Amino acid sequence: MTLAVETYPTLREAAQALGDRARYLGGGTLLMRAVNYGDQSFDRIVRSREVDRTVRSEGQGIRIGAGATMADVLASRDLIALHSVARIVGGPAVRNMATVGGNLFAASPYGDFATALLALDATVQMADGQNLPMESFLSGRARMRGIVASVTVPRVGEGEFRFAKVSRIKPKGVSMMSLAAVLPGVGSGRLGDVRIAFGTMGPTPLRAKAAEQALRGRGLTDAEIEPALKVCCDGLQPADDELATEWYRREVAPVHLKRLLLGGRR
Amino acid sequence: MARTPLTFTLNDAETGVFVVPGSNLLDVLRRGAGDLTPKQGCAQGTCGSCTVLIDGVPHLSCLTLAETVEGRRIDTTGGLAGGPDLHPLQQAVMEGFAAQCGFCTAGMLMAAKALLDRTPNPTRDEVIEAISGNLCRCTGYEPIVDAILTASARMQGRTA
Amino acid sequence: MAIHKGRGFACINYPIGMNLGGDPAQALVHSTPDGKFMVALSAIDLGQGMKSVTRQIASETLGVPVEDVYVDTADSDTGPHDMGSFASRGTHRVGNAVIRASAEARKQMLEAAAEELEVNASDLDTDGKGNIHVKGAPSRSITVADTAMAAQFKQGRTLAGRGIFLIPPSDADAETGEMTPVTCFAHAALVIDLEVDDETGDVEVKEINSAYEVGRALNPKLVEQQLIGGAWMGVSHALYETTEPQYPKRDHGPQDFNTYLMPGPGQIVPHNIAVLERPAEDAPFGGKGPGEMCANPVLPAVANAIYNAVGIRCDRLPITPEKILRGLRANGGARPQQVR
Repeated sequence: MTLAVETYPTLREAAQALGDRARYLGGGTLLMRAVNYGDQSFDRIVRSREVDRTVRSEGQGIRIGAGATMADVLASRDLIALHSVARIVGGPAVRNMATVGGNLFAASPYGDFATALLALDATVQMADGQNLPMESFLSGRARMRGIVASVTVPRVGEGEFRFAKVSRIKPKGVSMMSLAAVLPGVGSGRLGDVRIAFGTMGPTPLRAKAAEQALRGRGLTDAEIEPALKVCCDGLQPADDELATEWYRREVAPVHLKRLLLGGRR
Repeated sequence: MARTPLTFTLNDAETGVFVVPGSNLLDVLRRGAGDLTPKQGCAQGTCGSCTVLIDGVPHLSCLTLAETVEGRRIDTTGGLAGGPDLHPLQQAVMEGFAAQCGFCTAGMLMAAKALLDRTPNPTRDEVIEAISGNLCRCTGYEPIVDAILTASARMQGRTA
Repeated sequence: MAIHKGRGFACINYPIGMNLGGDPAQALVHSTPDGKFMVALSAIDLGQGMKSVTRQIASETLGVPVEDVYVDTADSDTGPHDMGSFASRGTHRVGNAVIRASAEARKQMLEAAAEELEVNASDLDTDGKGNIHVKGAPSRSITVADTAMAAQFKQGRTLAGRGIFLIPPSDADAETGEMTPVTCFAHAALVIDLEVDDETGDVEVKEINSAYEVGRALNPKLVEQQLIGGAWMGVSHALYETTEPQYPKRDHGPQDFNTYLMPGPGQIVPHNIAVLERPAEDAPFGGKGPGEMCANPVLPAVANAIYNAVGIRCDRLPITPEKILRGLRANGGARPQQVR
């Protein structure tokens, strides 16, 4: 296969240059793997000299340039809430390469960072100026044309964001399941508008809306979370894959959600 | 096929090669620059045996588009030893039987070097984290972790 | 939720080598003009230490420093025939062939030295440091290097040796089925301690204690490393690795080393090893080698420990959290076995 590498001065121009047979190069961890294995679905690699790796406060949120790597996230004090997520993406070399923008496109079982962004209700800014909530972005991802410019993450109160990656391999393994939860009011004993997202429990990260609903107005005790655990797989689409079966995922999802909410071994 | 000129610093040496567009850095280092120390294990980014340092930071050379290293500094295991003198990491790996088949060793050494460059006195957990992207099929990892801690101690003038 | 502790034991009798129409190994040894010795083999070192051990064996047999011996396991065109590196046969089969080849080369080396010193070869001995001397008169000596030079440039003599070690084919007796496929066995016993999480089926191996009888440990540090690394692989086979995760369904084979599971460096299991040395009669310097059994007993010991912990008898590998959880559901929960 003959590949062409095209480098554009700005992200906008790179986005305009994309077409059916082109892929945009972010950190390379997804695209170069496809190149190495002779993926025939594209023959142009599009790059931009404009790589935004900045992290800055913007209104009620924090804006992360799509070119920021997991290591950049770990180096940012503003993103301390997301350190627990960035730290479990790949090993150190992958974290120096894999970008926040790229993770939004990572197919299951990858894409733990996107799972966290879904729970956090982040907004995705495309290079053409379009803004999309994470949930719409993910549901339209398969048909997506364009380049992500940045992601804006709403601030959360201390201790309100929780994340867990369930992997059999330590310290670095791929997700059998990942869970992210935003728990407003957790300190007060009465939860507000909870958001819970599961990774590797469907073709994209998905929200557990029935469980979110069941937790509203409740506290984090065994008895109060029980109804949420019962319905936590509603709306998820776990599949059989090389890491686990659908049956197993459905069996242990409540266990891992309970441990995320109450603390405990994982 | 049109080739793209590419220059970078490889282990202190100015290096120029012509690359086929879309080549990964690992291929360019091995076939273009003749440095056979980084290994290709999976070409998927899941084994770590191709780990090199780009501007001092560990990267997977198999997933790095060659064109992106123009003007940058690449360090590989090929540059670790100073003449006949092994790097303390190499010495510790040899003495500690931390290599059996040796295929992972070059990547392990670069992952370890990146750690010690920034964290000269790592904890055991930090060593484990540093090599967590590098697979070893022979040793069970313990001798590798021990060797990195031994090298760290020697480089700091401590006894392990 | 409960975490259940379990302990499992397994012991193993492991045949050295195989017998499919005979099991030969060959070695060729020759000296360079400056008195170094090259050992050519077709047996391959795949990390287990074949080169190190055959180098030691050649050095010991030749009576020259280990630094002066080079082992070339290049390929089966340039090396003499060998069945290969498998069946735990390397140290035993190849080592014996190296002894024979080295003994022949030593004989020629002593004859060449005898001619230079004008004595009988039977009166000569080596000091292992690169010299050949008259027994009882160390001052009447010649270096191995000078001997090699004289042999090749003055005497027109090769310092070389050929060695083959063959375990002949053993056919089964038509009446009784009796046969003698192997000549020696290695042995081991191994204890696994682990924990099972009865909500998820997850298993965490906590400690391994083992005793291995491998004949003489020709290179004790190599033996220890092979046993440690092999036990890791045993744990991996017992609990993680498979190319068909949903066997007998053929779907969902792993796509990469992230989905082909193997324990990571955060899962190093403390492993205490006792190596028992009982030199074997027909083995090179008594060494049988650890070989495959460094991994094998781990598997039944893990299976037994899981049974001990939660009462699930799993007979399909790997023993995944899913298989354990299904067992727990079928049994109505964990049934810890009281006997430890």
